[in-house]
Amino acid sequence: MQPDERNTIDRGLTTAAPLVTLRNVSKLFGGVHALDDVSFELRRGDVVGLVGDNGAGKSTLVKILSGVFGPSSGEILIEGERETLTPPARAQRHGIETVYQDLALVSSFTVAENFFVGRERSWGRGPKLFQIMNRRSMTSTAASALESLNISIPHLKNRPVERMSGGQRQMAAIARGAFWGERLLLLDEPTAALGVRESREVLELVSQLSQRGLTMLMVTHNLEHLWSVCNRVIVMRRGRKVADLMSSETTMDEVVAYITGAKGPETLSSE
Amino acid sequence: MSSSLTEASGLKSLLQSVLKPASARGSRSSGLMRLLGNYGTIFALVIMIVVFTIVEPSTFPTLGNIRNVLTDMSLAAIVAAGVTLPLVAGDFDLSVGYVASFSGILVVGLLSNGQWPVPLAIVTAIGAGLLIGIINGLVVSKLGVNAFIATLGTGTLVIGLNYAYSGGMPIALTHSQSFTEISLGQFWGIPNLILIMATALVLLWVLLNRTVQGQHIKAVGKSPETARRAGIAVDGTRVIAFAISGTCAAITGVLLASNLGSGQVTAGDGYMLSAFAAAYLGSAALHQGEFHIVGTLIGVLTVAVGNNGLAILGAPIFTQYMFSGGLLVIAVALGSVSRRYAA
Repeated sequence: MQPDERNTIDRGLTTAAPLVTLRNVSKLFGGVHALDDVSFELRRGDVVGLVGDNGAGKSTLVKILSGVFGPSSGEILIEGERETLTPPARAQRHGIETVYQDLALVSSFTVAENFFVGRERSWGRGPKLFQIMNRRSMTSTAASALESLNISIPHLKNRPVERMSGGQRQMAAIARGAFWGERLLLLDEPTAALGVRESREVLELVSQLSQRGLTMLMVTHNLEHLWSVCNRVIVMRRGRKVADLMSSETTMDEVVAYITGAKGPETLSSE
Repeated sequence: MSSSLTEASGLKSLLQSVLKPASARGSRSSGLMRLLGNYGTIFALVIMIVVFTIVEPSTFPTLGNIRNVLTDMSLAAIVAAGVTLPLVAGDFDLSVGYVASFSGILVVGLLSNGQWPVPLAIVTAIGAGLLIGIINGLVVSKLGVNAFIATLGTGTLVIGLNYAYSGGMPIALTHSQSFTEISLGQFWGIPNLILIMATALVLLWVLLNRTVQGQHIKAVGKSPETARRAGIAVDGTRVIAFAISGTCAAITGVLLASNLGSGQVTAGDGYMLSAFAAAYLGSAALHQGEFHIVGTLIGVLTVAVGNNGLAILGAPIFTQYMFSGGLLVIAVALGSVSRRYAA
């Protein structure tokens, strides 16, 4: 799974503009720079690990890409076009999906219902009050989407996700994100609350999606997990991007040095 | 009151004896609590029906009395089913009682003083409830005022409107006597009130469980932030829930005025308490602490059967107040037990 090879062969899109470009993006919260002049590009098929200490700006960056809030300054380009991503529904329309750590799923809904939350299939037009949900269609689509990723979740149409294991929930949430996210899937600490076996299953799913050419940005604290799936790593420190490296060209020790500040920001921007 | 207490402890020992020592998940007591949370209200209802049937076999379990119970509960059921929607969306609507009183006064005033045609007066009074509901929703979602306080405020405002319109005096129905036929009439031998209640409950059930709007209301109630990030218009969803609640309260107010044949200044106020008692009792029926329409119906039925039975037994009026009040406390307790031990 050489990423570059995948781009040219599967997609044939290497000459086009980058999928997502951030240009000098800053975000201020009451005078505090949560993000300070961050720029980078995501190319098709990239699987980027986003690392940094607590408060480094990782989740702010994810929230800006997912449309939870807009940047204070700077611009975001989608395939070369300047775009606004807020609110989240608009980011979704651009094919950007996010799997949040705690807020991914509605706990009382089944996996099938969660697959289509906010995008229910229905009969009838007009106000949502008069649209009757087409549950059968939603359930069968969710089932086949899970099946195509070799995920087996029993009772996906009648058991609320709050009665499922953390691993099952995370697999379902990622599968949903992959189902809707045509351009970019953002993963916020996908393995944070999981045990060893469940983490491995989630990482296998991520690399399976990567083989299909899905572009992903994954926030993580776990460098082993990062190395097992990501081809590139971006290090954040105090709201700034301090490193942007191909994972094949760096080491965990070097990344740790950037995270802790033992090593200063690199000047090149990996382009 | 004492009767429902002994019922509760009797229920407890009954459940303890039924429960297998090696319950599949959790400890013995959490299994019991889960049962109580899921079936507590239904047990209480069944036990009351059994007790009243045994004690008053010639009056309680008769077709005529069943009709009485259903007719008596119809107005409360419509308000209660209405407040269930904001509750599912995670909000309280405390204004419903005052909205019911106001729409009742308004409809009779329009008929008697304004000599409006009956359909127009009814639509206007119900429209007033809808409008108040929308205002409630906007205040709560757009201004971010806590729903408890906001709806208490708008409710009090509505009392003011009520007094401004009526001068604090009841309004007699001088024209349009046909207006009273709405609540007193029958269709195929079934009282109109029962038919209207059934229609309202079916519509609200379909809305909540089968429409996209209902799914969004549930999602917003469970986790507003998850819903928002899933692209749901959270504010609009909450406004719609309040609008439906206000509309239902106004429908009840109009039916009440039709039933009374006059507009009474405070006639609908008490529906707020009974609606919440029913909704909370209903949250301890079947769905693990969640508010739902069928549960609310079971809750209304429980309150109605209790009051009816006590009346048949000739219990003094104070016992009915104690029953209703005690039931509200037990209902909320059962609801929270149900939520705590859910899943």
